Amino acid sequence: MKIISTLPLSVAAALMLTTSALAQTPGKEGVAAARTTNGVANWTTYNADLKGSRYSPLDQINASNFKDLEIAWRFKTDILGSRPEYKLESTPLAVDGVIYTTGGTRRAVVALNGATGELLWQYAMHEGKRSAESPRALSGRGLSYWTDGTKRRILYVTIGYRLVSLDADTGRPDPEFGTNGVVDLKTDFDQDLGDLDTGEVGVHSAPAVSGNTIIIGAAFREGFTPRTSNNTKGYVRAFDVRTGKRLWTFHTVPKPGEFGYDTWLNKSADVNGNTGVWTQVSVDEELGLAYLAVESATSDFFGGKRPGNNLFANSLVAVDLKTGQRRWHYQLIHHEIWDLDNSSAPLLMDVTVDGKPKKVVGLPSKQGFFYVFDRATGQPVWPIKEVKVPKGNVPGEWYSPTQPIPSKPPLYARNGVEEKDLIDFTPDLKKKALELTSKYVLGPVYTPPIVSTPEKFGVINNWAQGGTNWPGGSFDPESGIAYVYACGACISSTGLLPPPAGLSDIPLVVGVAGQPVVMIKGPGEGAGADSPAPATPPGAGSGPPRLAVDGLPLVKPPYGTISAIDVNNGTIKWQIAHGETPDFVRNHPTIKAMGGIPRTGQATYQIGTLVTKTLVIAGENQFTRTEDRPRGAMLRAYDKQTGAEVGAVFMPSTQSGSPMTYMVGGKQYIIVPTSGGNASGEFLAYALPSKR
Amino acid sequence: MKIALPLILAVGLAGAAVAQDAGKSVWQGIYTAEQAQRGAGVYAQRCGACHGAALNGTGEAPPLIGGEFVSHWDTMTVGDLYDRVRTTMPQNDPMSLTREEYADVLAFLLKNNGFPVGSQPLDKRSEVLATIGITAEKPAGM
Repeated sequence: MKIISTLPLSVAAALMLTTSALAQTPGKEGVAAARTTNGVANWTTYNADLKGSRYSPLDQINASNFKDLEIAWRFKTDILGSRPEYKLESTPLAVDGVIYTTGGTRRAVVALNGATGELLWQYAMHEGKRSAESPRALSGRGLSYWTDGTKRRILYVTIGYRLVSLDADTGRPDPEFGTNGVVDLKTDFDQDLGDLDTGEVGVHSAPAVSGNTIIIGAAFREGFTPRTSNNTKGYVRAFDVRTGKRLWTFHTVPKPGEFGYDTWLNKSADVNGNTGVWTQVSVDEELGLAYLAVESATSDFFGGKRPGNNLFANSLVAVDLKTGQRRWHYQLIHHEIWDLDNSSAPLLMDVTVDGKPKKVVGLPSKQGFFYVFDRATGQPVWPIKEVKVPKGNVPGEWYSPTQPIPSKPPLYARNGVEEKDLIDFTPDLKKKALELTSKYVLGPVYTPPIVSTPEKFGVINNWAQGGTNWPGGSFDPESGIAYVYACGACISSTGLLPPPAGLSDIPLVVGVAGQPVVMIKGPGEGAGADSPAPATPPGAGSGPPRLAVDGLPLVKPPYGTISAIDVNNGTIKWQIAHGETPDFVRNHPTIKAMGGIPRTGQATYQIGTLVTKTLVIAGENQFTRTEDRPRGAMLRAYDKQTGAEVGAVFMPSTQSGSPMTYMVGGKQYIIVPTSGGNASGEFLAYALPSKR
Repeated sequence: MKIALPLILAVGLAGAAVAQDAGKSVWQGIYTAEQAQRGAGVYAQRCGACHGAALNGTGEAPPLIGGEFVSHWDTMTVGDLYDRVRTTMPQNDPMSLTREEYADVLAFLLKNNGFPVGSQPLDKRSEVLATIGITAEKPAGM
């Protein structure tokens, strides 16, 4: 049963008994009262703009006063679902003094007063089994705003994969859009999903809305232990923002006769899936092109059922905004088997290369390469060479003999784990690291996965959660410099084993020799408001011995970095460790005996950056406790030019979504989505004290 | 024990403040070996599929062992940890174990993270567990 609620909560019961016109009134009045054009600066898309910049020219908060920031208001998301959420990743929008965001395990939509945090309206769709079964539960990354100057709409995708258009003033579904404001994204998909409740697809990115076109991607369960190689295909679709009518579909896995179909040997395009676009789509409205950063095909670490290069998996594809026709593409990894899927929104930057202005698209990656192309033609700005890579020996696998390696900019994050990467604070630690890793394979980027054996459990790598993940990068449109967070120590071991009967039709899935192979869950799976999902079978999941030496991380710092990449000349302008050294490292007897070590940063894949007129701003994702403050995390600001830290303020919880900034009533605010550990989802809004 | 009480009070970590009042610490042997043994069985049945046989985590389920896990709970209380587990785990069916079973699982986690065994079992009441402070580092003199 589907129940839709739109309310100020306090009057919910009364509203249900009254007419819809009356029901709209309180939300409308609240939004009307909060709306202002007085001293406002807006943040109208997930990434601040469709170019993916996460940039705002505001400068009221700057190096001289960042340390004085205080919490102006906080909004807890616990009530937006049947249980609290501990993975709040949504970045809010700010439009004329009103904040719009998704939140909670229900992925509800709320409108808040931007100056006070007061709830103005709330909308939620109760989807029952369809939401419980979703591969992408929880609050999602956010929503989108559209206006033609008269109508104002909020667009988002529910946990159950429905596209909803809401009146931004009232929170009521737009009756002219789809069916009563809703488009069922599991239909009209150029493929049959079977049962609409269980058919596997969802998405948690915010829709990309350009002109009258909404672009929607697709995401799936994690690809460590997929049930079938013939999973749902992650086609990208566009819809009319006024009517919800489907405008076009781009087949990320080509159909017979379409370009790229022959890159799936033995007609394997017909029986493989995934290849979705789960990260944000960027749009160049002048060129009329949408940029799709496509993920891997099924499955993440075994591609024996999909021989060939597998277009458009792991490609950057530019499609015509109006028609969805492919204008150009570039495959960044051929026949991908490392879970190094495209994770970041394309960054549409205007730079000057060799004295000539150039419109480029830059793409950060899990593999620490920052790819740069002419965004009109798809030509690499600096040569990308096909480099021979090692062939593995996994039975039934197909290997690409080469992979594309950019010549510029240089690698900005660790993308392999070799002896030189191992901890070496002391000779004893290095010796122990070598002993530990003797049971694994080490190697550079694109070292192929192995079958797990008691002698070699797997390949130690920085694949699934390393480098730059879903928060992506940011950039300064004035200088042409990109600011990108990367994890350098999100390491794991990956080996393959045959699945037990009934788990998967793929011959090899992720497992560890000597331990049972079990289904591995993806982000938020089974944790949404409509869970319980089907119970997990009893039994212990596999996990190799800890990749730690005397309790310290196996690899050297930095564990997490922010890099400033100058896209005018393909150089790294500066790079810093981001994040306080973790307590268990800083307080370790060996480290203390050494007299301490420079700040290490933190191993996490949750960090997104915000760029302002003068600052790069990012919070921490781990709790720490230092001599001068209690347990918490810091929100840090860096000088954009040098990377020098110019201020930091305390957060009672940890950053879990990317921060944004806006102004209302002449006051600049920064909102940080926080959650983790014992802290459930909460938006923290910071501003400068009114009186100083 | 050393907890920086004024700082903690300043930011309103009430649970930790209570722990300080009672002066109990996770380093004082607050669970029994039998309890941890029972907890191992419950863990294998209800937790291990996601968090791993060796508590190392799988996929998105985080490790429940090691410095990162322990320092994550530094200056919180055993009650905080207990209620986090009780109200949210197993993720697909929270609050589906008995209070005793949750306490047993907690004892198992504490044992695996090197906190000493004692003679009295962990209480099953959140408010009592909230009087036991977690510190990542063993306080001097304990």
